[in-house]
This record gives sequence, C-alpha cells and structure tokens, in this order.
Amino acid sequence: MSTHTIMTRYTRLLWILAAFGSLSFTRSVQAVPSFARQTGMACEACHTVFPELTHFGRMFKANGYTLDNLKPVRDVDSSRQELLSLSGLPPLSVMIEISETWLDSPLPDGTGGPGHSQTSTTGFPQQLSLFYAGKVAPHVGAMVQLTYANDSGTLGIDNTDIRYANLLLLPQDSSLVYGISLNNNPTVQDLWNSTPAWGFPFTSTNAAVSPLAAAQLDGTLAQDVAGISAYIMWQEAVYAEFGVYRSAKQGVTNPITGAAGPLDGTISNVISGVAPYGRLAYERQWQRHDLEVGVYGATFKLLPGGGTASAPASLSGPVNEFRDLAEDFQYQFAGESHLFTLSGTHIHESMRLNASVLNASAANASDSLNTTRLTATYYYRRKIGASFQYFSTTGTTDASLYAPGAAPGVVTSANGRPDTGGWISEINYLPWLNTKLTLQHTHYDRFNGGTSNYDGFGRNASANDSTYLLFWIAF
Amino acid sequence: MHVRKLACVMGLAGVLNLGARHAASEEPPDGLPSLAARVAVATCATCHGPRGQSVQPKFPVLAGQHANYLLAQLQAFRAQTRGDPDAIGYMWGMAGPLSDELMGALADYYSAQTSRRGEQGDAAQIARGRQIYQNGDSNAGIPPCAACHGSGAAGTDTYPRLAGQHVQYLLKQLRSFQNNMRNVAIMHGVAKGLNDADMRAVATYLQSL
Repeated sequence: MSTHTIMTRYTRLLWILAAFGSLSFTRSVQAVPSFARQTGMACEACHTVFPELTHFGRMFKANGYTLDNLKPVRDVDSSRQELLSLSGLPPLSVMIEISETWLDSPLPDGTGGPGHSQTSTTGFPQQLSLFYAGKVAPHVGAMVQLTYANDSGTLGIDNTDIRYANLLLLPQDSSLVYGISLNNNPTVQDLWNSTPAWGFPFTSTNAAVSPLAAAQLDGTLAQDVAGISAYIMWQEAVYAEFGVYRSAKQGVTNPITGAAGPLDGTISNVISGVAPYGRLAYERQWQRHDLEVGVYGATFKLLPGGGTASAPASLSGPVNEFRDLAEDFQYQFAGESHLFTLSGTHIHESMRLNASVLNASAANASDSLNTTRLTATYYYRRKIGASFQYFSTTGTTDASLYAPGAAPGVVTSANGRPDTGGWISEINYLPWLNTKLTLQHTHYDRFNGGTSNYDGFGRNASANDSTYLLFWIAF
Repeated sequence: MHVRKLACVMGLAGVLNLGARHAASEEPPDGLPSLAARVAVATCATCHGPRGQSVQPKFPVLAGQHANYLLAQLQAFRAQTRGDPDAIGYMWGMAGPLSDELMGALADYYSAQTSRRGEQGDAAQIARGRQIYQNGDSNAGIPPCAACHGSGAAGTDTYPRLAGQHVQYLLKQLRSFQNNMRNVAIMHGVAKGLNDADMRAVATYLQSL
C-alpha cells in the first residue's frame, strides 16, 4: 500500500472521527443551577424548559451572566474605585446524564472489536459535567464546562463562553448592550436555540451511529477552536456579532516533543489563519409571542493535515475552504399553562476542496452540503412535553469524500452521497424543573446516501434508528 | 458626587448587580434617579418593557403606577412576604439586593412614566366587568372595586392603578388573592366571591381603560 493511500485513508478516518466526536459532544447542552443561585430567580425566568432560553434568559446571557443578588466580597480604593466584587459563593454546578440506548439493529459483529455486538448500551453516567457558571467580576461572567464522557473515558473541556458585557444608556431610555465573547464552539455564544450549539436535540445518545456529513458550522469544530467575537444588542431586539476563530485542538501533542505546542502536520483540519464568523438577528415580542429571524455564517479555510509522525503532511499550502451561510428562526409562545416553540435552521455549505482533491480524498473541486432542521416543542405547565424534529442533510455526490469503505461498512457510503434524513421524536417529564426524564426516538429515512443497503454491506438506514432513555439532572 | 462620576463608580456593578444595598446607601440621593433609570433600562425593562410599558401580559405594566404602591411591593418582594408564583420565581431574587433608596427611586421612575393606553376586548365581557367593577355584585358579596381603585381605575397613593393593566396579569393576581398565595386580607375578601368568568370580565374591562 502506498504512503499516499495510507495518508488518504488516514485523512478520511480523521474526518469521520472528527464528525463523530463533535456530534456526541455538542449535542449535550445545559441549564445551570448556579445561575439560579446567583440571581435568586427560578429556572423559568431564563428557560421555558431547560435548556431553551426565554427572552429574559437571552438578555441574561447577553449581559454576560452577571446579574446577581448575592452580597459580594468587595474592595475599593480611596476614590471609591471598585477593585474587587467577588461572588460570596462560587457559582458551581454539577450535571449528570444517565442513559440507555437501544439500536434498531445491532452493529455487525466485529464493529469496534471482537465479539458479538449488543443492541443496547448503558451510559452510567453518559456524561458528568462540572460547571463554573456565573459572575466573575463586574461586567465579566463565564460558563465553563468540564465533562467526563463515557465514550471517551476522559475528562475534557466542553462548551465554554467567557464574556465581558456592558450597557450604553441611549436617549429616550433605549439600551445598547455590547460585549465580547471568548468561546470554543461557533454559535455557543448565540442567544437563540435555533442555531447548532444550543439547538434541538439538546442531548442525544452517544451510542448510536452518526452520519458522515456535517457542515463545519454545525458542531464539527466544537471544542477544537478558540474564538473571540464582539456583539451588540440594541433595544433587546437587534443583534449583531462579528468574530474570528483559530484552531485550539484538544488532546493533541506534538509527536516529536510529546508536549502541547504548535500544531503540526499530523493534525487534520487546522484552520489556516483565522475564520471569520458573523451573525445578525432580529427579535420581536408581542403579547405572549416572541419571534426571531436571523442569519449567521462563517468561512473556514482548513489545512487537511494528516500523515504520520515520520511523514507528516504540511500545515501550509492548499486548503479546503468551507463557506457556511445559514438562516434561522425561532417562535415562542409562553402561556400560563401551555408553552410552544417552533424553530428551524438551514445551513448551506459551499466547499472548495483544493487540498482534498490533491490528496485524492475528494473527487470534486467543489461540493455543497445543505442541512435543514425544523423543530416543534410543546410543554404543559413545564411538566410534560414533547418535541418533534425533521432533519435533512443533502449534498453533492462525491465518491471520494463520502467513500465506500471496507467491511463491515456501517459508517460509510456505497454511492458517495451524503444524504441523511429522518425524524426525532421525544417526550419529556420534569418532576422538578432541574430534573428531566426523556424518551427519544431517532428514525432515519436515509443514511449516508441510501435507504437500503446504504453501505454496500447490506445495512439499511433504519437499522441505525435508536431509542434513548435519559435521566438528566443538574444541581 | 456628580451623576456622571457616580455612574462610573457604580458602573454596571450598579446596573447588573442591581445596586447592592450597602453601595447604594453610601451614595447621595441626587445620583439615585440616574442610577434608577439605568437599572430600569438594563434589567427591569427586559420583562416590564421600555419605560414600564410591558409587552408580555405575564408581566405588569409599571408605567404610571403609584410610587407608594410600587415601593411597598418591592419591599414585600425583598422581605419575601408577597407570595404569588411570579413574585417567588422572579421578584424575590430581583428585589433581594435593592436598597430602600434605590427602590424609592425606581418607584419614582416608573410612576413618572406615561401610563399605558387600554386595549379593547370582548364587548360583553367588558360590560359585565364594568358592572362588577363599578357596582359590585351584592348577591355574591362583591363590593364595587371602584370604591378603592377609583371609578377610572387610576388608583390612589394606597391602592394601585389598574387601568390598562394586562388581563393575564390581573387574572393571576385575583387568583392569588383568592387562594391567599398573595396574602392581602381586603383583596381576599373581594376575590373569594368572584368566579373565573367574573374575574376575566373585570380584568378585560380594566385592560380596556
């Protein structure tokens, strides 16, 4: 086997692993009780049902998580200049997810190791997270999450958003909130639940098979980048943000020195330079209704990397360019007993795969990918609720990018198409506002380009259907 | 201390920290109106709307409400003696760090705002509501609301303005008086005789004013 072939397969494998890793991580999002302890306000002030935000929750976030009613530890100088305003209580929280997942059909024996595959997987815990979530200093707040996940078996940095925010009082008592977010996942800083990082499904199994294709903005780079963005929100209605992202890979070391440091050519999908990110949104409230419409987008130039320690690829030269442009909307109805949310997003990704074409991991110089999600959620008295989501990803056929693999298939595509689509249905029961019992079913109409025998080894799309029972508590 | 300097010193520690009790008490009274305006815009307005004109009917209109009443309610929230559901869920936390001085300034800020224009509703309900509000219902033991709140529901220093208030908020308060979650003896006496339809009629009438 030639070095070139090894590199191509290695690069492809890294793409797949990156997609898997990001999907399992970014679909776990939260509401954080330390915010409630800090503000003295109930969960319902900021959430319809966690983790979906209300308008108040969005403004709490835009204002940098700093609203509080705790008596701080203070220090001032002789001119009354404030030197310190430290929360009397550290804003710590714990979140635990315990789950059971049943696949519609077991994976072929031998997938992931010798022996017979089970159809069910228990996560105990699926995820255990520790948060620092709250005010750090006047104008500065943070939501930092450390997560142990049972699939990785390690503790790692999860979603992180550190903010500075302030307010300009304009004439006629109108307001302009402005701030800066330092974060590690494009859209984790966003205020609405229609964008990828905080979108439905808020959590999902990590024990099922995930499809091959996902846009870069759709969680693919989560926790592997560092971004800084500046934002404004005028009159709690018009939101604009612009920022840039750099690679900040987790869990990688330089193969020669064994230490963390400048990334080398064995690391795949390193951002070349910085990736610009932008967001515009408009929110309008009337009566019990709240509607948001917006656009967001980013351009990522990624160095494919790959190779081995002895023969690394170069972190220079041709790049793969991904231009993601997305629209989103969110409608919320908040009655006394009935709560309803409808949200959706459409992400169009244009790819120019110059680097991948050169190393034969893509067949086309230009591909596109379209992802659509439409979600409806209903809750009765924040106790019992249900959600339904239609999801669809379609794109250009590319026999190298979405290539057929060796037996047993499962995570490959026989026809080189990325098309995946289906439904997620979910019912929830909350005995307490910080405790959720979820039963979620995911059904695939198509998977990696096909309905039946999508991988060329006899597996049908619906074989990857899963049923997921989750106990989710945060305190 | 100049207002501008006060704002610098307090910064948004005042706005976002709601003006901690000890901090506000150290500041001269002339800075409080400015601080109250900032707190109102930065924090209160998210639910109660710009200048107290709330959009969401869950949250009461504060514009034009009497300062005495607003101050008493803020103090009751801070003391955790007003116990209707949204008071517990929202305002106990919100009012916790407010000083008496800042509460007073906030009450003055909202009472000085232009009150909300009424919203028309179902004509039959408005007629029934007007009847109960102005004349009471002797058969059900309901006294006329106008006796305390005024014939135009503009309220007094002691009794709140009700004209133009949201139906949803008024209904929730009447139910809270009825079941004593909001423990006000005089209003419990009034609300205990109102059935749900009558409550809705009175609230619809008041919203229309």
